[in-house]
Amino acid sequence: MAANAAQQAPTPNWPYGSNSSGEGQVHENPEWEKARQALASISKSQNSTKTSPTNRTPQQAGPYQATDSSAVQQQQQQYYQQWYQQNQQQYAGYPYPYNYYYPMPPYGGPYPPGQYGVQGGYQTPTTPTGQAPAMPMMEDQSSSYSSQPPPPATPQPPPQSPTSTDPMMQGYNSGHIRPGYQGYQAPAYQPPQQQAPGQGPYGGPGRVDAKKPNNSNMNKGGQQLWQRMKQAPGSSAVKFNVQKRPYVMANHTFTPGEQAPGLASPTATNPSPGSVAATSTTSTGSAQTRPQDWPQAMKEYVQRCFTACESEEDKDRTEKVLKDLLQSRLQDGSAYTIDWTREPLPDLKPKQSRWEPVPQRSQENAIGRGGATRGRGGARLGNYRNVFSQRSPSSSSSHSSSRSPSPHSRHRDRSRHHRSDSGSQSDSSMSSDLRLPLSRRQQKAGRGRGAERERGRGAAGERGRGRGKANRGRRNMEDLSSGIGKKRKGGNAGLDFHDPNREAKKQSRAARFHTKLRTEPLVLNINVFDLPNGTQEGLSWDECPIVGTCQDITKNYLRLTCAPDPATVRPVSVLRKSLIAVQTHWKSNQDYLYACEQMKSIRQDLTVQGVRTDFTVEVYETHARIALEKGDHEEFNQCQTQLKALYKDCPSDNVGEFTSYRLIYYIFTKNSGDLTTELVYLTPELRADPCVAHALELRTAWALGNFHRFFRLYQNAPRMAAYLIDKFVERERNLALRAIIKTFRPSVPVEYVQSSLAFPDLDSCLVFLTGLGVIFTPSDPSKIDCKVSSASLTTS
Amino acid sequence: MAHITLNQYLQQVLEAIDSRDGAFCAEMLSFKHPHVANPRLQLSSPEEKSMHLHCIFTMCSSFQAHKEENWALPIMFAATLDLRIFANNAEQQLQSKGKGKVGDMLEKAAEQLMSCFRVCASDNRAGIDDSKKWGMLFLINQLFKIYFKINKLHLCKPLIRAIDSSNLKDDYSTAQRVTYKYYVGRKAMFDSDFKQAEEYLAFSFTHCHRSCQRNKRLILIYLLPVKMLLGHMPTHQLLKKYDLMQFADVTKAVSEGNLLLLNEALVKHETFFIRCGIFLILEKLKIITYRNLFKKVYHLLKTHQLPLDAFLVALKMMKVEDVDIDEVQCILANLIYMGHIKGYISHQHQKLVVSKQNPFPPLSSVS
Repeated sequence: MAANAAQQAPTPNWPYGSNSSGEGQVHENPEWEKARQALASISKSQNSTKTSPTNRTPQQAGPYQATDSSAVQQQQQQYYQQWYQQNQQQYAGYPYPYNYYYPMPPYGGPYPPGQYGVQGGYQTPTTPTGQAPAMPMMEDQSSSYSSQPPPPATPQPPPQSPTSTDPMMQGYNSGHIRPGYQGYQAPAYQPPQQQAPGQGPYGGPGRVDAKKPNNSNMNKGGQQLWQRMKQAPGSSAVKFNVQKRPYVMANHTFTPGEQAPGLASPTATNPSPGSVAATSTTSTGSAQTRPQDWPQAMKEYVQRCFTACESEEDKDRTEKVLKDLLQSRLQDGSAYTIDWTREPLPDLKPKQSRWEPVPQRSQENAIGRGGATRGRGGARLGNYRNVFSQRSPSSSSSHSSSRSPSPHSRHRDRSRHHRSDSGSQSDSSMSSDLRLPLSRRQQKAGRGRGAERERGRGAAGERGRGRGKANRGRRNMEDLSSGIGKKRKGGNAGLDFHDPNREAKKQSRAARFHTKLRTEPLVLNINVFDLPNGTQEGLSWDECPIVGTCQDITKNYLRLTCAPDPATVRPVSVLRKSLIAVQTHWKSNQDYLYACEQMKSIRQDLTVQGVRTDFTVEVYETHARIALEKGDHEEFNQCQTQLKALYKDCPSDNVGEFTSYRLIYYIFTKNSGDLTTELVYLTPELRADPCVAHALELRTAWALGNFHRFFRLYQNAPRMAAYLIDKFVERERNLALRAIIKTFRPSVPVEYVQSSLAFPDLDSCLVFLTGLGVIFTPSDPSKIDCKVSSASLTTS
Repeated sequence: MAHITLNQYLQQVLEAIDSRDGAFCAEMLSFKHPHVANPRLQLSSPEEKSMHLHCIFTMCSSFQAHKEENWALPIMFAATLDLRIFANNAEQQLQSKGKGKVGDMLEKAAEQLMSCFRVCASDNRAGIDDSKKWGMLFLINQLFKIYFKINKLHLCKPLIRAIDSSNLKDDYSTAQRVTYKYYVGRKAMFDSDFKQAEEYLAFSFTHCHRSCQRNKRLILIYLLPVKMLLGHMPTHQLLKKYDLMQFADVTKAVSEGNLLLLNEALVKHETFFIRCGIFLILEKLKIITYRNLFKKVYHLLKTHQLPLDAFLVALKMMKVEDVDIDEVQCILANLIYMGHIKGYISHQHQKLVVSKQNPFPPLSSVS
């Protein structure tokens, strides 16, 4: 806390950043979400009812139309991708096409990619899963917005500073807007409640439902801004819900014992599921009517504000300011009376991007995401792991004292959210849910932009920092609220109230700090460029071993696009049986498709668990051989690549064999560069290996065009080398035949060709020859007329 | 100079920029400049690197801003050179730690260089004197160095095409052209285009500054095999002068048709040849050696109809293992096919019938 307070608050009119106490932030966050929800529902209802469009200036409307559909859809897609990745495993049958996930391969893979590293439901402790998805959206939005001309009214610091209005609107929100949100969200929410893997389908439809209206709205033009607003909360909420499911599921299946505690705290604070239903229904009703009540001018104003945004940060800031502003206005009724067209736009000074006070930064790193080294990705994984290990919510009070969202606390938090998702949609849980999209988004941005965000975290006054801080603060606050705060809220019948004065005090305090902090030395943060990569690199499977619990001998392969679920991962002991089963099945059935899939799933399970042992080598060798036998060069090469790396750690007896395959493969690709590189690394011992020696001889014969020797080696190829040589044997025969036909006169017996070119029998040789248009001597069909043939060969 | 203050340093840089003294500015900005040794600048290495990368970024953009001008080219040269060297070091460090993908750092550096290159190559508006196209060749050379290091020769092709189609290609500085032709020659050699390889490498060798003995030696390492394949054997003095005695036995063996000696020489210096990447090229000298060996057989027998057994005996003398008459036919067939021998094989009579005129045409006229 002290550290936070120490952050500078350069811009006084940015109240949020200046909040030094986490609680206030916590409340803000939900409120904000609610506001967005409300906006969203408004726009939705507007669109559906086609109420009179706002009198937007063409200037404003134009850009939206242009950008909207594509941008929004992109956003959605991102959501779904993310969602999908995380759930894909469970919901194998999910109909979405693969290309949805493609953009996000980092997820499926080793996790490291910096962008996503932090985000995701995994890492965000307080604002659980919801945060990450929201971010991409916002980014997209910002991109679409950035190009737009600034609204007529130039941005100014909002005179009615959010602080003062804040409390009021909070009250308002909790009372009125939230229901709308719930109503809107309801369909999406339900699936998580069921928690069972069987829900998979639910996630899909739920998402679709939420999305479809948006899409249709988007295309209507004129309403785009609102759609966007609406969509953000809606989709993010959906996403959030969906995202959580896997964890919930995992918990249920795997660690029932652990789950109980996780459930416990939320239950205590939250109303029973039964009440949820009630709330949601009522809320739906109010949601429909409420938003429509909003004055058109106000909506317009919101639009203007967003149009003025030039960057994602701006947008974030704008959202925050707007949220407070609108809520307060709505609450005190001035929203219906004031002249929105005259309302100044929120002040959005670009924050200083690369200068920051030194102490702050270090603090950030230390506190922030559990250390910079751990990084975004790391944190995420850590969280994931923790899902299964650390769920005890017992120390919730400690959250309040430490601002650091350690994986554990995050984790705990998340578990609470699961709880709330699955169990009840009480006010308190709702509020936290509402918070999610925003904070998640922020977090994502933080991840994307790395240090900037981190920097921002503790800062009090300045815009960018303020925001960043607010996020984290919120997150932490959420810790608080989920522990202490939630109880308090529960006492308040779910209203997210808090002391209005407190906000004001915080602000003033922050204002003091910001002046002080300015005097601190500024340091050029070069690391901005490096951070994402640096953290990325540190991440690998090794650092986050999971141990599977699946006992199935066979398992279908499914491309992993999200964090692995131990429930579906088989431990090594089971995999050994699997391998044997696949091998026997292969021997008896020769069903390559089956074998390949099984091998791939075994490989995947090994990779996911970070197993790099002799058994891993054996698996890859087996798969490589099977693939080689069936000529599946794609799989074969994948295995080869892995084996090359694996052999460094786990030398096997078959190193020579697979080295020779590699050499032969380079012959096939005629890649003399790689061939030379490979030769450099051949040790004398390896050269002595019969397979390698054979491959080297083959290479020499091939390089010198010594087809006689080449084909003799082909016939005597050890192990499975012949399968590989098959790949280019035709090519070599062709070349050799040309040499033969050019050389021999007047004729050459077919038998010679057959034996030289290693044809298994005369017939196949004849087929080959006639295929090339070779002409035989009229008098003796067993001889090739070289002179005539050479002419026909050159022409063919 | 080594201990100038930051202010002094910045002042000098500013002056250089104001006066458009690209060369001096480049010197100031280069990491070879003494200011880098200032202990205050010794942060942890990642910072340094990223700062430098950042320099490149900013430079790239500022470079674009200076349309119609090219005085800043030397700065870009210095920065890109540093970038490549840094990438190289980073690569090595990562490798020694066993981390990272091979060639990853270098590839990233290459990306940056490419973005610079695009700026230069697309500068079509400025007059010839002010054109940034003058920076192309330098960048290409840097890129070549990276591509050769990471074994991605195919990426060189568009660059070569860009220079080939450039009207400035003969007007770049000799140093740059020497470097360029060295790499293009090497590439041609790997593509088995020996005639062109010889042309480029020979240009490189003859125009390389006489004080650059090391570079000349490097050029020779590739020029010698190419020349030998085309029938030009290096003199003993040349090999001695450039400390390339590894080639001595090879040269001797090839010209004598001494297959045995050639095999021994290749095995003996295999590591050196492989490391230079010329082992596979030198191996092709075996074909020349066969030709010379068989030419001796022809001269001994003094007939146009040579029994295949004679060649078999010759090969056995050279201790070629498990060779049979079919393989002799195969080797001869290849020599005939490639044009090293004029003649044909009568399978029926097991004889090689060679042309009465010039049965073994000079190597330089072949292929």
